[in-house]
Amino acid sequence: MDAKNVSASTAHEFVISRTFNAPRKLVWKAWTDREELMKWFGPKGCTLPHANMDFRPGGIFHYMMLTPDGKEMWGKWTFREIVAPEKLLLVNSFSDAQGGITRHPLSDSWPLETLSTTTFEERSGKTTITIHWSPLNASAQEISTFNGAHEGMQTGWSGTFEQLEAYLAQA
Amino acid sequence: MSPDRLDATFSALADPTRRAILARLALGETSVAELAAPFSISPPAITKHLKVLEHAGLISRSRHAQWRPCKLEAAPLREVSDFVEHYRQFWEQSFDRLDAYLQTLQASPTLEMKDKKNGRKKR
Repeated sequence: MDAKNVSASTAHEFVISRTFNAPRKLVWKAWTDREELMKWFGPKGCTLPHANMDFRPGGIFHYMMLTPDGKEMWGKWTFREIVAPEKLLLVNSFSDAQGGITRHPLSDSWPLETLSTTTFEERSGKTTITIHWSPLNASAQEISTFNGAHEGMQTGWSGTFEQLEAYLAQA
Repeated sequence: MSPDRLDATFSALADPTRRAILARLALGETSVAELAAPFSISPPAITKHLKVLEHAGLISRSRHAQWRPCKLEAAPLREVSDFVEHYRQFWEQSFDRLDAYLQTLQASPTLEMKDKKNGRKKR
């Protein structure tokens, strides 16, 4: 297979941000405390019936997410750097019940591990969370897969994507 | 949906020239010559891109007409669209839930969330 850390293929970062009407201390705790995380993490209607948290550099958050239609999805965060209450670096991966790292359920060439850098910035009592997301130790093919999916998430491509959506609507 | 096919679609979409070709085809089917016109690359290079797109099932080429027009295929794009939408929704909806949770926390400073009778604080 492809060599790791191929410098010729540059991964594009995926960035998502939201500002919350709450002080940073509160947002940080909601993001890093097991019980609090279980109250909100995951899309609408999802629950976390299982969650193990060992919040320290090198520690993990291992969870099972149950979707509204009853599908189980295991995931794992491995904390790499913790700068309370400003910054959190973690390695993201799909997982099994035992905590082993697994492939993406829908894509064999999705990066096995991705790196999330989450920053917490407070301004006038409001807190802005920004997540930067990129492949970690990925092969050229994994980077290409991430970029291909990622291009669909970006505004530069979304103009085109709207045209395609319009086309899909008629097809 | 098979992982192999989704992966082929992602690889195909990772290239800007191929995305531009798809964008052009979203307007309707056309010839290879017309597809090549806006790009400063050789016809063989365009043909190579078309082969990648065809392999991913993103386009098809008609065998009926001699000029073999290229046509956009909807199904793989819909799969990519669903995949991408899933990631966006994951975070947008998590953020919505976090926002609601943070509001609840601030509305009841004593965190007596189970006791709804005490939830009627001013502000």
